[in-house]
Amino acid sequence: MAKIIVNGEAQEVQLPATVADLIRENNVAQPDMVSVQVNEEFVDREEFGTLQLNVGDEVDFLYFMGGGAYV
Amino acid sequence: MATHTLDITKEHCPMTFVKTKLKLAQIAAGDTLEVLLTEGEPLENVPRSATEQGYNVLSVEHVEGNVHKVTIQK
Amino acid sequence: MFDFTEEELNRYSRHILLQDVGVEGQEKIREGRVLIVGAGGLGAPVAMYLAAAGVGTIGIVDGDVVDLSNLQRQIIHTTPDVDKWKVESAKETINAINPHVKVETHREFLMADNALDIIKEYDFIVDGTDNFPVKFLINDACVMAGKPFSHGGILRFKGQTFTHVPGSACYRCMFKSPPPPGAVPTCSQAGVLGAIAGMLGTIQAAETLKYLTGVGELLTNKLLTFNAKTMDFRKISVKKTDKCPICGTNPTVTKLIDYEQAACDLHK
Repeated sequence: MAKIIVNGEAQEVQLPATVADLIRENNVAQPDMVSVQVNEEFVDREEFGTLQLNVGDEVDFLYFMGGGAYV
Repeated sequence: MATHTLDITKEHCPMTFVKTKLKLAQIAAGDTLEVLLTEGEPLENVPRSATEQGYNVLSVEHVEGNVHKVTIQK
Repeated sequence: MFDFTEEELNRYSRHILLQDVGVEGQEKIREGRVLIVGAGGLGAPVAMYLAAAGVGTIGIVDGDVVDLSNLQRQIIHTTPDVDKWKVESAKETINAINPHVKVETHREFLMADNALDIIKEYDFIVDGTDNFPVKFLINDACVMAGKPFSHGGILRFKGQTFTHVPGSACYRCMFKSPPPPGAVPTCSQAGVLGAIAGMLGTIQAAETLKYLTGVGELLTNKLLTFNAKTMDFRKISVKKTDKCPICGTNPTVTKLIDYEQAACDLHK
C-alpha cells in the first residue's frame, strides 16, 4: 500500500494503480467530467487509464461548477 | 524641502488621520507636514498611525490650550 | 491630484485608513472600469461591494428579468423588483448605495458576436454567470483580448473561483471544453444555498479590488474551492499548460463559440 495525497488528504492506495483506478476508488460522481492534476500537471483524459501513480504523488480532482438558474 | 501645514483641530477621528494621509499623498517625498490637532483621540491616534504606516514623525509639541503640533516628514 | 470631496473622504475613510490602500488606492478604484457579466447570484454581491467601494464605472450584462426565485440569493434585487429588467434593478441598487458610480447597463446576453465589443472598454471582467457555454465564452474572449477576469461557480454548498491575468492559467487550462448540455447539474436542478453566492461573490469582489489597487496576491494559477458544509477551503495550484486549446502553444480555439445551452438553461 502506498500513500498518495488526493485533494489534500492522504490515502493508502494499492500500487500499481492508474489515475482511472483512483477515480473509481474515490467514487468520483462524474468520471467523464472530472479534470485531474498529478503533481500540478494536468493529465490528458486519454491517459487516465495508463498513467501510473507513484508513492507521494499529489492528485487533485477538479470539478465543473457552474451555478445556474433558469426562469 | 517644503513645509506644509494642515489644521485638523475641527475634525473628528477618523477624519483626522484620513485628512493627514490625503495631505501626505499630495506633497513631495522629503517635504514636511505640520499638523495642528487637538488633545484626546487625535493626539493619541495621528502620530501613532503615521509611524505605523511608515511616515517619519519628527516631533509632537504643545502649541497652546488643547492644540498640539505634529511634524511629519514624508 | 487626489481630488476627493469631503463626502468622498468620509465615505471611503475605512479604505483610506488602510496602509495598503490610502488615497492612492482609492483613486485607482475610482478610475477602475469593471464589467460584471450576470446580475444574479454572484453578480449581485460583486456589484454591491464594488459599488460600496467606489469603483468608478461598473458595467452589467444581463438579458433577464427578476424572478421571485432569484430573491433567495440575488440580494441586489428586492421583492418590488420582480419582473423588472435585472440590469435596471441592479443599477438602482448600485446608485442607492453609491451615487458616484457610473453604471453602464448592457441589457443583453453575452454571445460570440458581441463579447469582444462589450469587454473592450473595461479593465477587469467578473464572471457572474450561470452556465458553462458563457463561462467558456468569457474565458476565450478575455484571453483573446488580453483582459484579466475573475471566474466563479457555485452549486449546492460548494464554490470555486480563480483569477486570470494575461499569461496565467485560464479556464481551458483546467477544463478543455464545456461539458455536454445537461451533463452537469445546475442550481436550478440541484439547488444552491443562497449564502454560498455571497461567500463566492465577495471573494470575487475582493479579487477585483486587489487587482485595481495592486494589493496582495491574486488567485492566479490557483483554483480556490470551498465546501461550506465543513467550511474547508482549498487552494489548488494550477499551471498554465502548453497544451491549452486557447492559451497554449498551438491553439485550436481561434474564434469565439456559442456552445449549445442545456434546455433548461435557455433564457426567455
